[in-house]
Amino acid sequence: MSENITRIMRLLQFTDSTFPVGTFSFSNGLETAGFEKIVYDRQTLHDFAKAQALQAAFTDGVAAIAAHRAWLADDYEAATLADSTLILCKMNDEARQMLRRMGKKLAELGQHLFDSPMISRWLADIRADVTPGTYPVAQGLTFAAAGISERDLFCSHQYGVVNMVLSAALRCVRVSHYDTQQILYEMSSGAEALYDEVKDMRIDEMHAFFPELDIIASLHEKGNMRMFMN
Amino acid sequence: MAFDYQTHLTTHDSGVPSVDFSQSREMAPYHDEPKAMYVGAPGKHGYLRLGFEIDPRGKSILRDLDRRAPLIVQQALYFDKGMPDMPCVYILSSGGPNVEGDRYQQDITLGPGAFAWVSTGAATKLAEMTHNYSGLRQHITLAENSYLEFMPEPVYPCRHTRFISDTDIVVHPTAALFYSEIFMGGRKYYGDGELFEYDILSVCSHARRPDGTPLFREKFIIDPARVNPRGLGIMGKYDVFANVIVLAPRSEADRIYAATTPYIDPEAKLACGITHLPNDAGLLFKVLGMEPGPVKKVVRDFLATFRREVKGRELPEEFPWR
Repeated sequence: MSENITRIMRLLQFTDSTFPVGTFSFSNGLETAGFEKIVYDRQTLHDFAKAQALQAAFTDGVAAIAAHRAWLADDYEAATLADSTLILCKMNDEARQMLRRMGKKLAELGQHLFDSPMISRWLADIRADVTPGTYPVAQGLTFAAAGISERDLFCSHQYGVVNMVLSAALRCVRVSHYDTQQILYEMSSGAEALYDEVKDMRIDEMHAFFPELDIIASLHEKGNMRMFMN
Repeated sequence: MAFDYQTHLTTHDSGVPSVDFSQSREMAPYHDEPKAMYVGAPGKHGYLRLGFEIDPRGKSILRDLDRRAPLIVQQALYFDKGMPDMPCVYILSSGGPNVEGDRYQQDITLGPGAFAWVSTGAATKLAEMTHNYSGLRQHITLAENSYLEFMPEPVYPCRHTRFISDTDIVVHPTAALFYSEIFMGGRKYYGDGELFEYDILSVCSHARRPDGTPLFREKFIIDPARVNPRGLGIMGKYDVFANVIVLAPRSEADRIYAATTPYIDPEAKLACGITHLPNDAGLLFKVLGMEPGPVKKVVRDFLATFRREVKGRELPEEFPWR
């Protein structure tokens, strides 16, 4: 029982929006979607957050699970393969920057928290520019090192993506915290089915089809609005 | 997980590479044998090999051509007023639409310094299917300082179409490629309309350097029964989607990027966006719209920018019948 409580405490710690990896700096394009009147109320915010969650599940989620399994198997090459494959599949320039910045921060934190040779080696390779150092791979490695299960890792990953959008929404979309919490509550019920779809995917099966999100991200990338990073 | 699929009927060795998607998980529900002509039957296994080179006079020519029905390429023409020395080739299919069990392979190679324009003679229709699927594999290889504009007409999926493609690009750091694909949501004006009533489109494009260094890998799977393409962030209210991959040296890519403005135009119902591909490979340009004409126009305008920045040449007006 006490082990379970420790695991849950760590899961809460790593999933908390104040966990210092910089999630509060990003809106995943919501700032532009709001400006373009694509997202303007609770329903459109829900749909936007759902699209972000799906997009992340079939790319970031796959890489995070692969890295978690790599740590458990003590297979460093599998972790770096997940890392480099994810960057190859991330078409949006600002999304790649976001994943790398947050990944490096989490790797630094991981090295401080755990005595994990694999995380230390990975961080050294990030600093040497040998591997990209993406956030989902950092999540996979650190969660495994902390004894958190793969399923809980996926929950945290999905929660993080949705909560990043919803937290930004309170600052740039006309919605209340009642709205955002309702959306989060509703979307949580879909995570289990999503995990069941993602857990058997190989890293070479990552895919994404969200052209409207891509165009929104592009407008942010070349635009002047900068309350958030993308 | 592996999905092994073997046809149980006699196949004929036509001397061209087999096109096998049996390892693609998303096509696993569609591996049943067609009731008519079997997978790989003569006439259903198209192959095309196009090789462009610079001849001793310094002219870019279609030097190598091999074709198997139903794919056809006739002689190269030199009709582009902006680049009158560029061979222009139309890929045609004598079989009409792609039907279930069809497999195609297209290999396009440009030798050092060669340049070419490749398109299709008309839109590619992907027929309604009840068994199996249609698959396309492409290999595009660009040697040093070569240049290819690949801009086929739109693809029209019908109700219950199943289609998968895989495009493998090998590009020298000094070469330049414009590779576009336009996907209709379906036959919009057929009967009551068939938008997003197909079973699946699976499209993967990936590139690497000649030494094998990977550059990017983009895969999208549109499976309307699983995820509604009408969702916000996906196709939203739009019906037509264009995807353009530009591979070019960094300096040219930066100029194209700087000269291109993304926008969302609610009145024209058009939107486009641009970003840098990973590993300094080039650019990715996406367009959403309601009808093929305006989307093709946006893609062609982007081609004009590409040609201007890479070759310093202008793109002529499109033919009125295109």
